[in-house]
Amino acid sequence: MLGKNKRSIATFSLGLILAMAIYLVPGMTSDAIAKEVFAEQVFAEEAFAKEVMAEEAVEGEGEAEIEWGQDVFYKDWEGNPLKGPVSGFPAPELGESDYNNYEFAPSRMLLWVANQQHLYFGSFVLAVPIFCMIIEFIGIRTKEEDPVMSAKYDRLAHDLMKVSLTAYSWTAILGGILLFTFITLFPGFFKYMAGIFRPVMHVYALMFLAESGVLYVYYYGWDRMSEDKFLKWIHCSLSVLLNLIGTVLMYLANSWATFMQAPGGIDSQGRFLGNIWHVIHSTLWNPVGVHRILGNIVFGGGIVGAYAAYHYLTAKTEEERAHYDWVCYVAMFIAIFGLIPLPFAGYWLMKEVYAFRQQMGITLMGGIMAWLFIIQAVMIGLLFFGANSYLHNGMSRVKGSHRYMKYCKYMILLLICTFTMWMTPHTIVMTPAELKAMGGAQHPVIGHFGVMSAKNTAVNLMITTTILCFLLYQKANKKINVPWATVGNCWISAIFVGAALNIIFLGVYGYFLPANQRVGLSVPQVTTTLTTLFAGTAINISMFKDSESYGDIQWGTQSKVGTYAIFLLAISFTWLMGLMGYIRSAVRLFWHVTEVVRDNSVDAYTLTIGEAGKMLTFNTLFVWTQFVVVFWVGSLTGKKAVAKAPEGVPVPAQQQQ
Amino acid sequence: MNKTLVSFLVFVVGLAVFHNAIFPIFTPKEIGWILNRYVYFLLFVAYLIITHFVLRLKPPIAMMGLFVWSIGFYFYKFVLYPPIPWTLFITYMVMWSIGTFLYISQDPETFREFRKPIVKTIVGEYKFAQIILLTAMPILVGFGTYKTIYPSYQEPVELRTVHPAPPATTKVHGKTYPLESTNNPFRVDEQDNYKDSFPFLDADKHEYMKYVTEGGTIFFQNCHYCHGDQLNGLGMFSHVFNPTPANFIDPGTIAMLQEAFIFWRVSKGGPGLPNESTPWSSAMPPWEEHLNTEEIWKVILFEYWYTGWHPRTFGTEGSEG
Repeated sequence: MLGKNKRSIATFSLGLILAMAIYLVPGMTSDAIAKEVFAEQVFAEEAFAKEVMAEEAVEGEGEAEIEWGQDVFYKDWEGNPLKGPVSGFPAPELGESDYNNYEFAPSRMLLWVANQQHLYFGSFVLAVPIFCMIIEFIGIRTKEEDPVMSAKYDRLAHDLMKVSLTAYSWTAILGGILLFTFITLFPGFFKYMAGIFRPVMHVYALMFLAESGVLYVYYYGWDRMSEDKFLKWIHCSLSVLLNLIGTVLMYLANSWATFMQAPGGIDSQGRFLGNIWHVIHSTLWNPVGVHRILGNIVFGGGIVGAYAAYHYLTAKTEEERAHYDWVCYVAMFIAIFGLIPLPFAGYWLMKEVYAFRQQMGITLMGGIMAWLFIIQAVMIGLLFFGANSYLHNGMSRVKGSHRYMKYCKYMILLLICTFTMWMTPHTIVMTPAELKAMGGAQHPVIGHFGVMSAKNTAVNLMITTTILCFLLYQKANKKINVPWATVGNCWISAIFVGAALNIIFLGVYGYFLPANQRVGLSVPQVTTTLTTLFAGTAINISMFKDSESYGDIQWGTQSKVGTYAIFLLAISFTWLMGLMGYIRSAVRLFWHVTEVVRDNSVDAYTLTIGEAGKMLTFNTLFVWTQFVVVFWVGSLTGKKAVAKAPEGVPVPAQQQQ
Repeated sequence: MNKTLVSFLVFVVGLAVFHNAIFPIFTPKEIGWILNRYVYFLLFVAYLIITHFVLRLKPPIAMMGLFVWSIGFYFYKFVLYPPIPWTLFITYMVMWSIGTFLYISQDPETFREFRKPIVKTIVGEYKFAQIILLTAMPILVGFGTYKTIYPSYQEPVELRTVHPAPPATTKVHGKTYPLESTNNPFRVDEQDNYKDSFPFLDADKHEYMKYVTEGGTIFFQNCHYCHGDQLNGLGMFSHVFNPTPANFIDPGTIAMLQEAFIFWRVSKGGPGLPNESTPWSSAMPPWEEHLNTEEIWKVILFEYWYTGWHPRTFGTEGSEG
């Protein structure tokens, strides 16, 4: 599927599922584990606090007393605010002198641009090592069976790393620009943040050093470490280390943003209470982290896909076309794998936001940010359309796919119907005349689609449809030979039909339940969808044993529509990422740190939808311009390498035949 | 006869017959499970599929695309009732058009086939079609321009936030209520089986029903003029207001809100709304000036009892703190 070797798809899928599980399992279980760890920690802290207080009481007057503050978020066993020794200064009341600005643009906009550009690039350089890790691993695993494909994987991972290296320096530069923008334009607020996060900032800098070191060894040692089998495994392990450090880096940086949105570890005056872990590990830290990792994977996949799609469309030779078509496919494969669980991570994040402050949740979902969420719904729909369009077009060039192509139109119908349900707003924009014609603010038929029960049902069905499409793609050129083929197909059908019925039933059932119980239904719905993903893929792959091929995929024959779908995906995702980042950040409204540090600058207002849209579009265009430059720089060394050692470049499988 | 032409006739004539002869039968005053417009629509689609199957008609993909697109248009414009607002219609049609595009572009072959007549028209191979197209285009553009610049006297639409985020606390009759933790003091002894007593208010049986009855009395003395005697937002004055009074039957209003949120909204009325919810356009008075705190809570109790909804609670969704 990913080339000549039929086992490679199984290895590839397994690798992806494992990689996904590495990220998802801690995310899903972290709540339970964290609660346990937290309970022990709280117990110890309480005991310590009592001990210190007892000592103070014994020592009597004259000794310096420790002041105890109450945490704004963390609570003890009995639900009372957790106490901690006051170890910092109170949050400043920011005034005019705490803000600087330039004439040409509001400070808030400048910081927004600086932040967003850094985040885009950061996201890309964190995603690429994940790709390289998986692709290099597959390359090593397939070396003995298919050296040509193995070399192809290795070359792809190496090429990606090369681009990532340029992007890495770029990210660091953008990080510097962000830091200077922050210090110079918001000095008062930065001083407070630096006071709280001082040790984290130093650890962050050191981790950055470690990341750079591992990255350089990983990249520059590529050829040398490829010579020996053992060294190659060490090299692959370096990519794991690189990803681990990268993830820690991201989580540390996340803690600043999550602290601003939902602070913990400080008292109501903003004084640090002595426990840096509480400050880092505030309530949104875990969901934001998992959401960002998945988002990075999709974003990275989109960028690599778009890069390959551009080269595919402009390729001069058949060989080039075949190579870039294949790269497109690998990138899309990874992006779609990240895209499927992404909405669930989003739900988890929103659940935690609601749990932190109901007000914040309402502002997001029903209040001033609600219209942006409608736009988000449309963008997500576009992503799913793009992904499905790519899969349909990709499938059509596979020999044997005619058996499944006839189902595509039904899947499109289902997608459109569920998407219509997904993006029907609860409050419709209308004129008074239209309102009268409709007989009320809510439409008697489509009005039912405006609530969460319908939305959850729709998005789960959309994802399930995409998964089904993906499974059909996988088996498009396979002639299944296992004796249990019929049973297997029946199982897959039963899983999907059962899943669809269950999702719809739970959705309808939700209308008859109180709101707090209805929220709980999303869990079985999501579980159902994930079951189709894991069980469906597992059965599907098992059926490929001893299968015959109707013929290899004709790399280099992807249709133009399918290729343009990749551009749509990449651009939509960039825009969507900016949008959601803006929503998450802007929900603080007039606070720098929610309910602790007030934003007293002239920029403490919420943008109109149009203005926000313009900024998002600017950021998207700006970052893509930079990506083009970075890829161009990367291609300069690439050309040189090809010119020097043409023999080292593996020839795609079909070219050899 | 040319099968493409037959297919086209099956669609056009079929639609005309269905719309003019069968549609009225399926739209009686008393809507039933069978005799309703949506069953009619499914019948029409079934007619198209069956006719094409029986006559073995396989129209070119461009025409199939046209059929699919037209069916969507027909549904949203004529079948779906009451008519949906223009903004939603456009959105739905964009969705449907994207779907149609995905359908025709699902593989390069169908897309090539779809493009063929378009390309031939543009390059002049289909002379007649080209003449029609080049004549119609300026007329359509002209008509569109005319429609756009023709003065319209409609009120502009506004993006109003219907459920704004409430403040952390609200002060009513001198007492401050934290909205996240305030509950209805009259929600006592609720057995969850009160629906059985509907529509008779058996106030003697339970203390809970006594409060509901009192709330109902207050509602019909003060609220039903706008919110309607069925609580569906269609009171006798409702039609002159924009925004219209809230429809409590709808699953998207009180069903997904905390009672404390309703308490804040009822007490402070339209003027108490934040700017994003256009306080200047809401006609609801601040009821704290007319009702006492207990009366407000009882009205809220009645609204939930009558509609059968439960107020939202966040008790089970605590954070790890």
